[in-house]
Amino acid sequence: MAKFKVFSEESNKSPLARFWRKFKNNHPALVGLWVFIAFALLAASAPFLAPYGVNQQHSDALLIPPSWHEMGDVRFILGTDDLGRDVLSRLMNGATYTFGLSVVAALLTTIIGVLVGTFAGISRGIRSSFLNHLLDITLSIPSLLLAIIIIAVLGPGLMNTVWAIILALLPQFIHSIRNLIVEELSKDYITAFKLDGASNWHIISRGIFPNIYEHIVVIFTMALSTAILDISALGFLKLGAQPPTTEWGAILAENLGLIYLAPWTVALPGVLLFLAVLSTNLVGDGLRQVLKERKAD
Amino acid sequence: MILDYILRRLGLLLFMLLMLSIFTFSLAYLFPGDPLSNLSGVPSNNFSQNTQLEDKYLYNSNYFTQYIAFLGRVFQGDWGLSFASGDNVFSHILDLLPATLELSVYALIVSIFIGVPAGILGSAYYNRWPDKLINSTTIVGYSMPVFWLALLLIMIFSLKLGWFPMSGRMGLLYEIPPSTGFMLIDIALAGFPYKGMAFTDALHHLTLPTIVLAMYPTTVLVRFTRESMLKIMDQNFIKTARAKGLNRRQLILHHALRNALLPVIKKIGLQFSTLITLAMITEVIFSWPGIGRWLIDSIYQRDFPAIQGGLMAVSLFVILATIVTELLYSLFDPLSRNQAHGKV
Repeated sequence: MAKFKVFSEESNKSPLARFWRKFKNNHPALVGLWVFIAFALLAASAPFLAPYGVNQQHSDALLIPPSWHEMGDVRFILGTDDLGRDVLSRLMNGATYTFGLSVVAALLTTIIGVLVGTFAGISRGIRSSFLNHLLDITLSIPSLLLAIIIIAVLGPGLMNTVWAIILALLPQFIHSIRNLIVEELSKDYITAFKLDGASNWHIISRGIFPNIYEHIVVIFTMALSTAILDISALGFLKLGAQPPTTEWGAILAENLGLIYLAPWTVALPGVLLFLAVLSTNLVGDGLRQVLKERKAD
Repeated sequence: MILDYILRRLGLLLFMLLMLSIFTFSLAYLFPGDPLSNLSGVPSNNFSQNTQLEDKYLYNSNYFTQYIAFLGRVFQGDWGLSFASGDNVFSHILDLLPATLELSVYALIVSIFIGVPAGILGSAYYNRWPDKLINSTTIVGYSMPVFWLALLLIMIFSLKLGWFPMSGRMGLLYEIPPSTGFMLIDIALAGFPYKGMAFTDALHHLTLPTIVLAMYPTTVLVRFTRESMLKIMDQNFIKTARAKGLNRRQLILHHALRNALLPVIKKIGLQFSTLITLAMITEVIFSWPGIGRWLIDSIYQRDFPAIQGGLMAVSLFVILATIVTELLYSLFDPLSRNQAHGKV
């Protein structure tokens, strides 16, 4: 179908401005962005916002249901767990670990991934072939299994989990960046640039990056949602964050025994995890959609 | 042409197996503890036993000789002993792998049968309500942590409604002689004993884990099929067909579908790696006696020979599955055979 525009108003806005304008019109993605920002703020400021300390115990208030329940208590909006700890405070602090550390892990992955991916993209011959085969093999090991192997080498713990997740995410990331670069390299404007005598560094920094950085952001959101899922999954399997830490997956695993008595202690961390991943995915999908639409017009 | 392609794929397979075996071998040195006991699975107790092991594993010669000896043992099926049980790791894997495969294969079948038609439907009603419904359902399913989904389903269907059992492969009442390791096939081979009740019981046990495991690949396939269909529907040959006066049904069934489903075949092959990852968590939650749960238990128990063996078996399976689907894909799509060697 030919895409005619009835009102052909010429738009000379910058790509970024057009990008934002299109993104704004996608309401689910916009809501996702707001939730995402809220999580980021919460992750940064949770210790100051939380009404109680993470490990502060209220021995007079064990297993109190959320405040909207008739047995609830207004002091503990989301109830307490079996040790009398405020669930709300613990969940707020969990944002720092689950969401904040995932962002850190995804950012580190992005930096390393872009460097290695660019190198893999521009290298030729035997070096490129070797790198790609190496990627092939690491891609064929399931990412959680790879993370588990790395944890078996390093020992369980939250920081080791972050390293493990970075290493497990990298192959996929490098692969995507490499494909982007190879695709861009084969285009005519790069050939023209090359014929003008541009060096490799110039081609990468002036030619390719301005054209792919938005795609890198999309890949970043994908890596972030995987990182959140992996950190919480490892926490849930008791291989990542260890119990007193308020990582959402670890909270969930810790309260698994209370699933009959106090279902809210299991359901709420799951809801937050779901919301965190959902908002990340909504933003990522929105970005991808906009990129596609902007290419079309 | 096709023979050349197969040979190149085989070369790639050999290279991948080589790298995998080197990685597995080096793990014995990377893991904490004594490399010799990590390799053999025998904790070093006394001097004479130690020297015996050193002789067997060529521990005092260089790494290369040790690696060759390691390869030889891998082919003989001597994968060391498990620290936890004292049994041969290889026999453990032979027992456990079919359970995981069974679960993964059923989940994959379910996800293909739901995901691909849903994707086609979404693209056929692009930007209308069925598409929007399918799209929002997939993004919800895509964002659901697998362990939370499993717990929710257990809470609703096992605890509240009591429709499905929450753990295991089979009720304790029934005894099925294991021959293939695939429960449903075993029951069929045994001639549906207990008036077929064992079969329905096994199906009941399978339902929840399969749904949980199928969720993620289904959403991936829905999205991928939809994208692929939309890409094809935008191409010139479809416009030509439309201009010739074909209706939507003919357009989709005869022209778009064949071309759009080709990349989907490749995508299905890539799902195995994700499936195994998710199967590990699912197995832990549903106490499914598969290789994933065994691997996680091995981590808790610092059972390094078991981790090595499990890694090798699982990765081997994923590599083989990927290569087989790639070969299938190239059988269907001659264009893909022209790709340069080493491209991924």
